[in-house]
Amino acid sequence: MTAIRPQTKNAEPSLIKSAEIAEVIGKQQPHTEAKILTRHLNFFYGEHQALFDNNLEIATNRVTAIIGPSGCGKSTHIRVYNRIFELYGDQRATGEVFLDGQNILTPETDLLELRRRVGMIFQKPTPFPMSIYENIAFGLKLHYRLSKSEIADRVEDALRKAAIWEEVKDVLHKPGTALSGGQQQRLCIARAIVVAPEVLLMDEPCSAIDPIATNKIEELIHELKSSYTIAIVTHNMQQAARVSDYTAFFFEGKIIEFGTTKQIFTNPTNKQTEEYITGRFG
Amino acid sequence: MKPRPATGRRILNLLVNVVASLAASSGIIVLLWITIILAYKGIPALNLDFFLNLPTPPMIPGGGLANAILGTLLLTVLATVFAVPIGLLAGICLGEFGQQSKLADLCRFAANVLTGMPSIIVGIFVYGLLVLTMGNFSGLAGAVALAIIMLPVVARTTEDMLRLVPDPLRESALAMGAPRWKVTLLIVFRAARSGIITGVLLGVARVSGETAPLLFTALNSPYMMSSLLQPMPNLTVTIFNYAMSPYEDWQRLAWGASLLITAGVLVLNILARFIFGERKS
Amino acid sequence: MPQAKDVVVPVAVRNRSLLNADTVFKGLTVAAAVVVPIIIVGIFWELLSLSWPALMKFGWRFFVTEVWNPVTQQFGAASSIYGTIVSTLIAMVLAVPMSIVIALFLVELAPPPVSKVVGNLIELLAAIPSIIYGMWGLFIFAPFMATYVQPFLGKYLGFLPLFSGPPMGIGMLTAGIILAFMVLPFITSICRDVFALVPAVLKESGYGVGATTWEVTYKITIPYGIVGVLGGIFLGLGRALGETMAVTFVIGNTHKISLSLFAPGNSIASSLANEFAEATEPIYLSSLIALGLVLFIFTFLVQVISQIMLRRLYRGWSIKI
Repeated sequence: MTAIRPQTKNAEPSLIKSAEIAEVIGKQQPHTEAKILTRHLNFFYGEHQALFDNNLEIATNRVTAIIGPSGCGKSTHIRVYNRIFELYGDQRATGEVFLDGQNILTPETDLLELRRRVGMIFQKPTPFPMSIYENIAFGLKLHYRLSKSEIADRVEDALRKAAIWEEVKDVLHKPGTALSGGQQQRLCIARAIVVAPEVLLMDEPCSAIDPIATNKIEELIHELKSSYTIAIVTHNMQQAARVSDYTAFFFEGKIIEFGTTKQIFTNPTNKQTEEYITGRFG
Repeated sequence: MKPRPATGRRILNLLVNVVASLAASSGIIVLLWITIILAYKGIPALNLDFFLNLPTPPMIPGGGLANAILGTLLLTVLATVFAVPIGLLAGICLGEFGQQSKLADLCRFAANVLTGMPSIIVGIFVYGLLVLTMGNFSGLAGAVALAIIMLPVVARTTEDMLRLVPDPLRESALAMGAPRWKVTLLIVFRAARSGIITGVLLGVARVSGETAPLLFTALNSPYMMSSLLQPMPNLTVTIFNYAMSPYEDWQRLAWGASLLITAGVLVLNILARFIFGERKS
Repeated sequence: MPQAKDVVVPVAVRNRSLLNADTVFKGLTVAAAVVVPIIIVGIFWELLSLSWPALMKFGWRFFVTEVWNPVTQQFGAASSIYGTIVSTLIAMVLAVPMSIVIALFLVELAPPPVSKVVGNLIELLAAIPSIIYGMWGLFIFAPFMATYVQPFLGKYLGFLPLFSGPPMGIGMLTAGIILAFMVLPFITSICRDVFALVPAVLKESGYGVGATTWEVTYKITIPYGIVGVLGGIFLGLGRALGETMAVTFVIGNTHKISLSLFAPGNSIASSLANEFAEATEPIYLSSLIALGLVLFIFTFLVQVISQIMLRRLYRGWSIKI
C-alpha cells in the first residue's frame, strides 16, 4: 500500500510531510493507510484558541480513540472532520484536514457530500421528531433517488447492521423518541450508516446511556470497523482500551501522544500520558 | 449505490434563503414605509397651533389638538394608576405564591386570554358596565377600559420577572427573619426592578395607541375636558374622526396626531427594550 | 433611626403581627389576581345581556342572515362573520409562511448582529398602533393596491372570481394584507423562540447526515416545535380576528358578501367601530353587540387553543432530549 497522497495546492511530496508528522507525533507512527490526515490544525472559538497545531492520522477501517481530560479539545477536533462547527459563526479552523487526500477545509468542498461520507454520532441520542422508519429513511432520501422498496430494504439493512432490527421491526412507525436511550443511540448509528458513509465520528456515544447499552454499542463498534473508519471520542479509558486500535491523547488542545492503543496503554512514552492513563489527573 | 447530485436540493435551499431574506426585508420595508409617510405627512402639521390651540370647525385655520393631547395623556396616566398596582399584586400572586396552585393557574390562563382579547370587546364591556349605568360617556370609563387592557400585560411581565429572581435570594432574606411581604417588596422586587419597569412601559405603550375601546367609553370631545365624568378628548379617536372627514385641514391634523402618537409609542418601546437590555448585560 | 421602642417589643407579639401582615399581603395579591378571570366572566355576561334583545328577536337566523338594514330594523351577522373569516384567512395565508421563513432567517441565516437588529425591527411592527395602520392603509396602501397590485392580479388571475371586479384599493384583500403585517411579528417571535429552543445537537445531527438548512428546518426543527408554531399561529389568528381600526379604515364597510377579494366588505370589529355611533335604536345597538358576542366567542376559543399549545410546548422542552 502506498502512503497517503494529499493533493495539496502547493503539491509537495506527501512522503516528506509524513515523515515530518512522524517526527511530531512520536517515533511509533502507525504504518497503515490513513483515511483522514490532519495537519497543523488550529481551532478558534472567537478569540480563544482551542486546538494547537494538531497532527493526526485516522487509519482506514480501524478504530481510533481520542482521549484526554474534559475540555482538552477532543470533541472540537473531530467536529472539524465534517465541518459541523461551521454552524456557529464565531468558530473557525485553520490548517489542513485530508479525507482520502482531499483537503476538506477548502471552500470548494461539497459540505453535503462531505457529511454524507463522514457520519456523526453525538453524546446524547438525537432521534428526529419522526417515526423510527423515517429517521433512517431521512438521510437516504436526501442523498439517493430510490424506489420505496429499495428504501425499505436499505432501512432494514442499516437497522440490522446497527443491531437494533430485532427490537424495532414491529414498531417501525412509532416515534423515535419512544425508544430507550441505548436503543435511540443505536438508531442514530443506523441513521448514520444508511447513507453509506466511509467514516463514523463518535462523540462520547456512551456517556448518556447505561452500562448494558454501552456494552452493546461497544460490540457494535467492533462489528462496524470492518466496513467503516471510526474515530471515537471518549472520557472512559477502559472503553478506549477495549474498542480502539489506535489512541491519541489530547491535553489542553494539543496532541500529546499518538500510537497504537496497546502501546499507549502499556508503554506510554510521555509522562503526562502516563499520569492520565494511570488516573493521576483528569 | 451512487449518491444523486445535490443540485436540486441546493437550489431549493438557496431559494428558501432568498425568500426568507425577502420576507424579513418586506417587514422592515413596511415599517420604514409607515414611519417615513408619518414623518412626511405629519411634520408639517406639528406647529405651535397644533400643541396650543383647541380644534376649530373645518376650513377655519389655527385649529390644534391641545385638548386631545392632554386627554390622551390623562387617560393613559389614569389607566396606569388603575392597572399597575393591581397588575403588580396579581403578578406577585402568580410568581411568588402561585407556582403550583390551581387558582393561580386559572388566573395565569385568564391573563393570557385577556391579553389576546380584542380591545373593542373590552370597550363594549366597559360601555355596559360604566357608560350605561352612569348615563354618559366619560373619561373615567375610557381609563378603566385602557386599564383592563393593560392589567394582564403588567401581571404577566411581573410574574415572569419575579420568576427570574433566584430562590437563594429569597431564602437568605427569609432566613434573616424578614417577613414574606418585606422580602417580596424590598428584596425580590428590587432585583426584578428593571424587568418590571419594562413590562409597565410596554403596557403603557400598548394602551396609549388604543382607539377601539375609547369609541365606546371616552368617546371624544372638541372642548377642553372639565370633568372625568364627561366625554374626554383624545388623539386616537380624533385621528379616526378627522381622517374619515372630507376636510383637508382636519386630515392634516390627523397626520400630525398620528405622528405624535406613533413617536410616543415607539419611544416607549425602544426605551423598554433598552432598560431590559441594560439589565441583561 | 428606628425608634428604640421597636426593638423592645416582645418577640412573640412581633411574630404574631408579622404573620398577620403576611396573610393580609398574600390575600391582597390573590384578590388582585382573581380580578382577571372575573373580568373575563364579566365581559361574557355583559355581552350576553346586552345582545339578548337581538338574539331573542332574530333567533338563530341572526347568524345566517346576510341582510343588515338599519332602516327596516332587520339585522343578520352573516356578512360580518364572512368578512371576519375571509380577511383573517388572507392574513394567515400570507403571515404564516412569511413568519416561519423570517424566523428561519433570524435564527439560522443571519449573523447575530443582523439578526438582533432585524428581529427588533420586526417586533416594532407590533408596536405601531392599529389606527396608524389604518391611516397608512387608507391614504397610502389602498391607492398603491389600486394602482399597481390589483390591476396586475386582475390581468393574470382575473379569470378567478376571487380576483375579478374593479380595482378600488379599498376592500377585503387590502384589509387582509395589512392584517398580515400586523400579526406577522407575533407569529415570528414565537417561531423564533421555537427554532432557537430546538437543541443544537438535534440540528447538528440533521446537518451531520448532510441535510441543508431548509431540510433541517422543514423536517426536524418545525416538526420538533410544531406545538409551539401552532400556538403562535393561533395567537396571530386571535389578533387578526379582533383587529379593529386598521380594518375599519380599509375594508369598505358594506354588509354584503361578495366572492371577489377586491370588493368591499365588513368584519365584526369594523362594523362595531363604524356603526356604534349611529346605532340609536335599541335593537340596532343590541344587534351590534351580538356581533361582539360572536367575536368574543371566536377569539376566546382561539386563545384557549393557543394557550394550551404554548403551554405544552414550554413544558415539553424540559423533558425532551
